[in-house]
Amino acid sequence: MDIKTNDINTLIHNTRGPLNRISMQAELIKMVLESDMPKEKVLAAADKIIAACQDCSNSLQDISNSVQE
Amino acid sequence: MLQVLLVDDDTEFTEVGSQIIEFLGYDVAIATSLKEAKQWLQSQSFDHVLLDFMLPDGSGLHLIDYLKQNNFTPYVTLITGHPSVKGMLAGLCGPKVDYIVKPLQREDIEATLSRKKSKTTKNKRKQPTLHFGCLVGESPPMLELYSMIERVAKTSANVMLMGESGVGKEVVANAIHNITHNDKPMIATNCGALSKELISSELFGHEKGSFTGAIARKEGVFVRAGNGTLFLDEITEMPLDMQPNLLRVLENKKVIPVGGTQEITVNCRVVSATNRKMTELAQGDIIREDIYYRLAVFPIHIPSLNERKEDIPLLADVFLQQLNQENNTEFTWNEEQLTVLKNNDWPGNVRELRHAIHRAFIMSDPKSQEIQLPNTFISPFSSTDNNSSAIAPGQTIEDLEKELIRVTLDKVDGNKTQAAEMLGISTKTLYNRLHAYDDFTV
Repeated sequence: MDIKTNDINTLIHNTRGPLNRISMQAELIKMVLESDMPKEKVLAAADKIIAACQDCSNSLQDISNSVQE
Repeated sequence: MLQVLLVDDDTEFTEVGSQIIEFLGYDVAIATSLKEAKQWLQSQSFDHVLLDFMLPDGSGLHLIDYLKQNNFTPYVTLITGHPSVKGMLAGLCGPKVDYIVKPLQREDIEATLSRKKSKTTKNKRKQPTLHFGCLVGESPPMLELYSMIERVAKTSANVMLMGESGVGKEVVANAIHNITHNDKPMIATNCGALSKELISSELFGHEKGSFTGAIARKEGVFVRAGNGTLFLDEITEMPLDMQPNLLRVLENKKVIPVGGTQEITVNCRVVSATNRKMTELAQGDIIREDIYYRLAVFPIHIPSLNERKEDIPLLADVFLQQLNQENNTEFTWNEEQLTVLKNNDWPGNVRELRHAIHRAFIMSDPKSQEIQLPNTFISPFSSTDNNSSAIAPGQTIEDLEKELIRVTLDKVDGNKTQAAEMLGISTKTLYNRLHAYDDFTV
């Protein structure tokens, strides 16, 4: 595996982190809505999803830059 | 309560993950590095470790080594972003080590902590092929049916589907539609369910005010089907005097809505269906000959379930999987149950099989994973009635003779002299026959 491929794999790995957070926060929202947990958690989780989307976007930009180099 | 150690350096993930794990009913501790994880393991015992593959101070595999060296025996699930890690883990891991792939879902965590196979694993089980997205079966009659569907799908010919009730005529119509017009509408209507007064309106549409109750304009099924498929079920139940109207549309490809004057061009393929036998069609006043030839440009016979018994386990598997998916259960069949289903007579065909499986599914204990079949599948349409003497091709003369003797003995309450008289044989011959059928009990 050459250095560039290795770098891209690392960048892809970095993208999975925020994706994982988005998935888990969404699961938390479902749980809150299904139960009598405080509804403020929904807002907090939604904010974290939005932030993770931005992280994802940045990671994708890093991948794009790496491919163009 | 089971103790879970969650090891990951992504603090947002550990925060939300721990809430979900607690919600699922487990106690959870968090470590963000190998060092912290080792500290937790030294201070208390854990039943399950959820472990990130890449940690700031080493790999998750180092922690597995540490567990082995210290004789700690929790279940370990590696959380990885690389599906390709599976091959590597296969050589490394013992029965107590598993892995899940990011991004995680609640059911992944739930399945892993209860050490059940997750849905993704279940789906890897070989499923029967869905031909044309909807048909199940690999028996010779079904393979022949698939070949006919493929052939007719290439043309625009009208198709008439014939077969007993419950064989899946509408499913076959769907299959034909799926191949040719899956981006276009498929409209189905049951000609047997429409009153004589409304049938024209249903088929051809009507204009506002064309009859009492016609409060708005309505498009008929020919127009609604557009360039797609129109499925006319139970076509032979359409009143004979209405059939000329249908013939005109089939010939001219134009409809005039009830109360209208403008002709509307239609361009759909008509797939019709009947459960009447060919002999009935020919003899009775059921369908006009000219209509039959228009509709049955390409007639297709759909085999009954008795003609393809080898497909019953495949169908049973598909129906049970559908019920499992709808109800989030994990019922399975065992081989004996599939044999029972295969040996049963299904006069109501696939529809009856499906309903019997649904009934068994409802009656089964949700805590068990094995479905419970009833002792008998009682059906008012069953052909196993003692009074019927159905003869099927392929039965042996010996079987028929045995059945005849049994029925006769039943009739005379087991009186062998009377039975012999009715059968036209001597009592001695009857005894000899009964002796020959040593498993025969009256």
